[in-house]
Amino acid sequence: MALELAAVLLCSGCSRQDARLEAHKKSLESLGATTKVIAEAWLSGDVSGTYTRTALEQTFYLVEQERARLASTPEMLQDRRGATLSQDAEQLSRLIASMIGDVDTANGDAARQRLASLPIVPQEQP
Amino acid sequence: MSAIVDLVLGVVTSIGGFVEVGSISTSAQAGSEFGFQLLWAVAAATIMLAMLVEMSGRLAAVGKQSVAGAVRERFGIHFQAVPLVAELVIDVLLLTAEIGGVAIALKLLTGIAFQWWLIPIGLVVWLVLWFSGFAIVEYGIGMLGLVTLAFVVAAWKLGPDTSDLAKGLVPTMADHDITRYAFLAVSIMGATVSPYLVNFYSSGTIEEKMKEQELWVNRTTAYLGTAFGSIVAMGVLVTSAMVLEPRNILVDSYEQAALMFVPTFGRWAIGLFALCLGIGCLGAALEITLNAGYVLAQVFGWEWGANKPRRDAARFTTAFTFILLMALAIGLIGFDPLKLTMICVALTVVAMPFIVLPFLVLMNDKRYVKEHTSGPIGNGFLAALTIFAGFLALIVVPLEIIGGS
Repeated sequence: MALELAAVLLCSGCSRQDARLEAHKKSLESLGATTKVIAEAWLSGDVSGTYTRTALEQTFYLVEQERARLASTPEMLQDRRGATLSQDAEQLSRLIASMIGDVDTANGDAARQRLASLPIVPQEQP
Repeated sequence: MSAIVDLVLGVVTSIGGFVEVGSISTSAQAGSEFGFQLLWAVAAATIMLAMLVEMSGRLAAVGKQSVAGAVRERFGIHFQAVPLVAELVIDVLLLTAEIGGVAIALKLLTGIAFQWWLIPIGLVVWLVLWFSGFAIVEYGIGMLGLVTLAFVVAAWKLGPDTSDLAKGLVPTMADHDITRYAFLAVSIMGATVSPYLVNFYSSGTIEEKMKEQELWVNRTTAYLGTAFGSIVAMGVLVTSAMVLEPRNILVDSYEQAALMFVPTFGRWAIGLFALCLGIGCLGAALEITLNAGYVLAQVFGWEWGANKPRRDAARFTTAFTFILLMALAIGLIGFDPLKLTMICVALTVVAMPFIVLPFLVLMNDKRYVKEHTSGPIGNGFLAALTIFAGFLALIVVPLEIIGGS
């Protein structure tokens, strides 16, 4: 009986952890997709450098917030998926920061190259 | 002739004044996360709002009493204290969020951090209220707000499938994130049925000196204006669903929401979105500020009126100035405009029963509405709405905790 109870508690703990990881993944994928759409709109001349910088900065803050939330408990980072997600988030942050620099210097080519190496971008729906 | 002009102006400005920070954020989030699935929530909230607005206008046109004034007189200050405090708290927080919305719009255009814009915007709001009468606030800003029809144009140009849209108008259960879905459905209702709208409308009816014989104008404006206005909110949801959802973008900031215009309007997109957000929020900020002054003056029996010389309504003027200063102070402490909006929306839902319940009594009291009391259908709807509002108030806080972010 005690063993069964322990198994149930362990399972519910696992599923809660899974749900949390899934939520973090979804948020970070959204931020990756946002970065992609903003950069593409800038490269095609649809949005100004002012907006691009503002929007990328905001996205950067959101990624950092999400990364901090993800790393708020050791259990999350002990999980291999959580650790990978955290690394991807850090990479995304650095990439956005570099992209802001590209926008400031109006370096479209560099931004295009960085766009190709974006981590955590989900498949677009048809 | 004047009644027809009033009607047309009323309907047109209702369209322009419908969209503000709450409806943009909730509809954009709903569209980006659940496609068209939450269109029914906008429709349901519209029916609720139209009913309340019509009743508040009827009360004002016949009984020459605003909602706050009538509640104070009919139920006394002990009952009034709860809705009064609730409304003022919501008004102050929502005002902060609306000013934040204008500031974000300016940030999108200039790149200057939104905090720098808070005081200049507050000053503009105060100057407009100080120097202009009710017509400028209601009709002037409402007309400018017609720019928000851009959401409808965007949705139309994206060519949504009409059968999918029709399906969205029928309530269905989400196939994923059910608590988030429920939270957004309730939030859309909270964003639409704002308490300030109800009292502002009744106060405006008195300001405009609407007569009992013009009740048809009130009824038509309330139902038609609200219905057309809700089409703009649906436009936000549909555009977001068609642009952001396929790209897996969840709306966590207004910068993300602005992207929904890019496929349709190209290089005009961000400017147009900023205009929609800025004008919509500025209009709402003016109305909320004025309404806070109305509510306090009506409850405490002070002289009030946007058309009165400021010296003749000094306490009313002081009241709305004070509320505006409080909102600015909260803004300067620091806040996330989108998160604050979602908190306001949840608080509105908690306060909703206190807004709806008094109507059940007032609209059946011949001292206020003479022979224009609600019929069995109106009373039935209102009773159902009161129970529904109570239910929403009970579930919104747990939903905010579980599905809020």
